Amino acid sequence: MNPTDTAEIASQVMARSMGDETVLLDLASGTYYSLNPVGARFWQLAGTGQTLGQIRDAILAEYDVEDARLDADLAALVADLIQKKLLVVRSGNA
Amino acid sequence: MLTVDFHKGSSGALDAFPNPTHHWTLPDGTLWLAFARTNESHWLRFPGLADFQVSLDGLRVVEFAWEGTDESTLEHLFLNQVLPLAQSLQGELVFHGSAVRLVGGAVAFLGHSGRGKSTLAASFASCGHDFLTDDGLQLTQRNGVYLVSPSHPSIRLWEDSRAALVHADAVLSAPVQYTSKSRVMSDNLLRACREPQRLHHVYLLGDGVADAVTIEPVTPREALIGLVNHSFMLDTSTAQVMARHFEALSQMAALPMFFRLDYPRRYDMLETVHEIIERHVTASLPPT
Repeated sequence: MNPTDTAEIASQVMARSMGDETVLLDLASGTYYSLNPVGARFWQLAGTGQTLGQIRDAILAEYDVEDARLDADLAALVADLIQKKLLVVRSGNA
Repeated sequence: MLTVDFHKGSSGALDAFPNPTHHWTLPDGTLWLAFARTNESHWLRFPGLADFQVSLDGLRVVEFAWEGTDESTLEHLFLNQVLPLAQSLQGELVFHGSAVRLVGGAVAFLGHSGRGKSTLAASFASCGHDFLTDDGLQLTQRNGVYLVSPSHPSIRLWEDSRAALVHADAVLSAPVQYTSKSRVMSDNLLRACREPQRLHHVYLLGDGVADAVTIEPVTPREALIGLVNHSFMLDTSTAQVMARHFEALSQMAALPMFFRLDYPRRYDMLETVHEIIERHVTASLPPT
């Protein structure tokens, strides 16, 4: 996960905040996904045009979590969202 | 209540059934229902039983019975499988759920097959709480209020439930070829409610591992996932339809009407289940 990269929500994805969690619907496949509170916060910030590093720092400031644990969890989440075509990452070096 | 214009087509399986897009299978892996879609219609195939053509707007259904399928089976397939799917095309919300009239409104029970939806509907109805549907729960939203529409005035039950819950003189419809469940027609002792009722609560049925009656609130996310999992929905290939459905379910799931219900699946527990649910609904209603 490159901290200067920017995350964008894929255009075919609908999201609804349900309490502190979020449910996603991929309109292309008809598949539903749910995000826990931290994942939901990431999703919310990913829609604002911030870089992955900025999103990581924002979440670190909001949650009682160790740096290394958060980095690992976010890297796994971003990889999963990209693999499922729910998230598009633009290179910060482009 | 929504209506569907029903017609009988030619007999025999259709030679030109389009390539299926997806399937529903039974727990043992047997193919139960194949779905296909063309520019003009949705197509449903119940292998060995019948094909159905459903217009894209859900307003017209044509039946093509396979050789050897009797009328009772065809009626059963139409009422319990095809009609709810056609109604979903008309923009309404249809779920795998039962509903009964209780405390001046309706309570609904959502669950997978075997979780006790029909048993609960029959047990409430046999105690004077009219049933609205035993499956194919159809909801209409008007100004933030959800109304449960009555469906066919019959309840499908396994033999042990029928024997335990329904009086001996109840009228049964003719047996059908694909299930050993009986269809019990409503009567004065098993009454069906014929008017739409305002929905009070939705209970998501647990798997029966509880050793007592338990009712717990669920989060909006859990409610939404529950609604998704129990939706009858025919058109899952059109993004606009999927988006509209998702939006409708999201709005509904945000309401504080969803709970998880579990209880030991014993007939001697049902009276207690009734009492607890009635108290639970009554306690949540505003004082009059």
